Amino acid sequence: MKKKVGIYICQCGPNIADNVDIDKIIESVSAFNDADDLEIVAKPYGLLCSGEGKDYLKQEIEENGLTHLVIGACSPRDHNNTFIGVCKETSLNPYLYKLINIREHCAWIIHDKDKATEKAIQYIRGGLRRVLYQSELFENKLDTNPDVLVIGGGIAGIEAALSLADADRQVFLIEKTDRLGGKAATFKTVLPKQQDAVEAIQLKIQTVQDHPHIQVMLNTRLDRIIGFLGNFEAEVRSIDDAEKMTELKIGAMVVASGFSLYDASTHPDFIFSGDDEVYTALQIEQMIAEKNQVTTRSGKAPKSVAMIHCVGREEVGYCSQICCNAMIKLAARFKTQSPDTTVKVFFRDLCLPHQDDQAFYNEIKAQGVEFVRVNRIATEGSQIKFTTMDENEGSELFDMVVLAPAMIPADGTPDLATKLGISLHETGFFQEAHQAINPVATATDGIFIVGTAHGPRGIQATLLQAQAAASKIRVQLIPGEQIVPEVRVSETLEAFCMGCKTCLEVCHYGAIVFDEDKGISVVKEAVCRGCGNCVGSCPSGAIQLKHFTNPQLYQEMIEAVQ
Amino acid sequence: MDKPNQNEFKPKIVGFLCNWCTYAAADLAGSSKMEIDSALTVIRVMCSSRVDPNLILTIYFNGADGILIAGCHPGDCHYGKGNYFTRRRYAQMKQVFETLNLDPGRLQLSWISAAEGNRYAEVVNAFTEKITALGPNPINQSSLF
Ligand SMILES: Cc1cc2nc3c(=O)[nH]c(=O)nc-3n(C[C@H](O)[C@H](O)[C@H](O)COP(=O)(O)OP(=O)(O)OC[C@H]3O[C@@H](n4cnc5c(N)ncnc54)[C@H](O)[C@@H]3O)c2cc1C
Ligand code: SF4
Ligand code: SF4
Ligand code: SF4
Ligand code: FES
Repeated sequence: MKKKVGIYICQCGPNIADNVDIDKIIESVSAFNDADDLEIVAKPYGLLCSGEGKDYLKQEIEENGLTHLVIGACSPRDHNNTFIGVCKETSLNPYLYKLINIREHCAWIIHDKDKATEKAIQYIRGGLRRVLYQSELFENKLDTNPDVLVIGGGIAGIEAALSLADADRQVFLIEKTDRLGGKAATFKTVLPKQQDAVEAIQLKIQTVQDHPHIQVMLNTRLDRIIGFLGNFEAEVRSIDDAEKMTELKIGAMVVASGFSLYDASTHPDFIFSGDDEVYTALQIEQMIAEKNQVTTRSGKAPKSVAMIHCVGREEVGYCSQICCNAMIKLAARFKTQSPDTTVKVFFRDLCLPHQDDQAFYNEIKAQGVEFVRVNRIATEGSQIKFTTMDENEGSELFDMVVLAPAMIPADGTPDLATKLGISLHETGFFQEAHQAINPVATATDGIFIVGTAHGPRGIQATLLQAQAAASKIRVQLIPGEQIVPEVRVSETLEAFCMGCKTCLEVCHYGAIVFDEDKGISVVKEAVCRGCGNCVGSCPSGAIQLKHFTNPQLYQEMIEAVQ
Repeated sequence: MDKPNQNEFKPKIVGFLCNWCTYAAADLAGSSKMEIDSALTVIRVMCSSRVDPNLILTIYFNGADGILIAGCHPGDCHYGKGNYFTRRRYAQMKQVFETLNLDPGRLQLSWISAAEGNRYAEVVNAFTEKITALGPNPINQSSLF
């Protein structure tokens, strides 16, 4: 069949027109007309992305019966989707169109007009060659499930569940213990400003339990998941009764598995046993929650308390951000319980990131809490040995020692990561899609991480993340709306694949699976993001990335070296 | 094939730019109207990891005087870890070039973020200068081809 290619060169007002000779481009590419199998329609236009421009293109495509379309205009980062949209409203398959960027790559950077024109002609010729090698691709619409599975019933999971359920999403909330609330449910007061949080947190827990759109499953863990954004299937199992398995169909997941604490007893400088008066800050929080006072194991109020910050910080290799404040909060608590308690805080660095923290710290100091900056510190039971920053050594015995161990990933995190097919950061917490610009998503579409599962942080930051993930899900999965997975994805060519599985290793998204029967790799199209990494990795050239195939790129490249 | 005159040698360079960082840097260089040598032809790929060794050898043997691969800084790849694979494949390609007695200096890998329009212009201009000094790809002069 004779091919009829439309080539439209945009003037972009003066942006392109002033710096390249558009008539010359038209003249040059028109020379490709070949009576037998190629007809070229080449025309200039003012502003192709304008409403009139788009209508003009549609009309041109239909009236000329174009089989392919090349547009010489701006960066595809600006208007590729605009023109794909135009094609979709015509009979031309949008993947038989190619946008060539003669603005950023010619008009604006080559300051000699003749040279810029020459380069633009070369680019357009490359585009013409390429487009003839492109293939039609068909978008596939998939039904989606807007329901969500939340893993972990701490404050992070609770907030995510509520934000989704209030928007009428059905939420399944699985929690591995027998109660909701996580660590925060045990806090009598919370920072900043020591607000009383018990009621607010209890209210949230109650709301979750009573919510018509939330199904809470306690003592439950995730067994396995399969699928992709909009269409996941999860199997969850009762921890008490291994026979009890439930299959859930959901469209997205929120991982809110929280944190654990570094085990201080494994640290060579902290020697203590369960009988010693040595506690973690979390144990003190729990004690306050249970009996509203802090006592030693013999039931007496401590007269002297040592508080040791940053236990295990060097070992884990990061600051846990919240512990300094949490410790200051407890120091204040000791003073309220009995103002004449001696409270000494041993720290090396203080992290007071919140705007109210400094004032609170000053207030506590004024109440007589002593802050001692130490270079080294060790304990043997409640006997403390330390070296101050100016190398003075000290040794003191206290009635009670409170440690602030570093926050570390929750138990079972690596196992959960494997089941979900998502990565862990080098600290062992879950890894986000992009630290700076996509912090609650993961590399897998449809799986989000919130709260301390993602790294140490306080309740406020945890809630913000939970709300962010919930709104992302609400935008990505709209009930009744279908999603269109990327079509520019990879495919393996059965005849060439030798089954080496290299591609399985390199794919960041787990989009390639191995077909044991055939002994070849197969790309799961709905999961593939189209990066092309697997193509570069395959030793036998058995993978092709649609719309970026080697023959297509070759056509583009070859024009560059003519 | 005509032997290009060394004096007016104008190199032909192919640059593979990843869509998310370096292609965006090129857009920024463009909208800042920076002057960039016309020797480079940009090929847009979604990730630098798409550039497979096949493409590099193919374009080299077709006469490219220089080949630039540019993507996001390590750790910033839009697809997680793609550019780490690019880096490895690039190191391998350098070795392949040496083994085939080709000049590995005709191959360059650069990390250029979306914000580094300036650096994009600098890298392209410097690479063009370097390739101009190296002279034409010997393939273009060889009677074998
Ligand atoms: C001593 C101390 C004091 C603190 N004081 C404050 C304060 O005053 N103010 C403040 O803002 N922050 C404070 N924090 C920080 C606060 O505890 C956290 O920000 C908050 O608890 C994080 O909530 P989360 O839901 O992410 O994690 P968690 O509270 O750890 O909850 C995680 C939940 O997930 C469950 N879970 C884990 N793995 C799985 C799994 N595989 N399947 C199912 N369920 C699972 C757990 O059982 C748990 O219920 C303090 C922290 C400490 C250690
Ligand atoms: S399509 Fe691009 S080049 Fe044309 S007017 Fe719009 S912005 Fe300018
Ligand atoms: S890398 Fe290539 S040959 Fe190896 S399994 Fe994947 S597709 Fe097959
Ligand atoms: S193109 Fe990227 S996402 Fe798709 S299968 Fe290959 S490596 Fe995975
Ligand atoms: S997206 Fe830029 S290098 Fe991968």
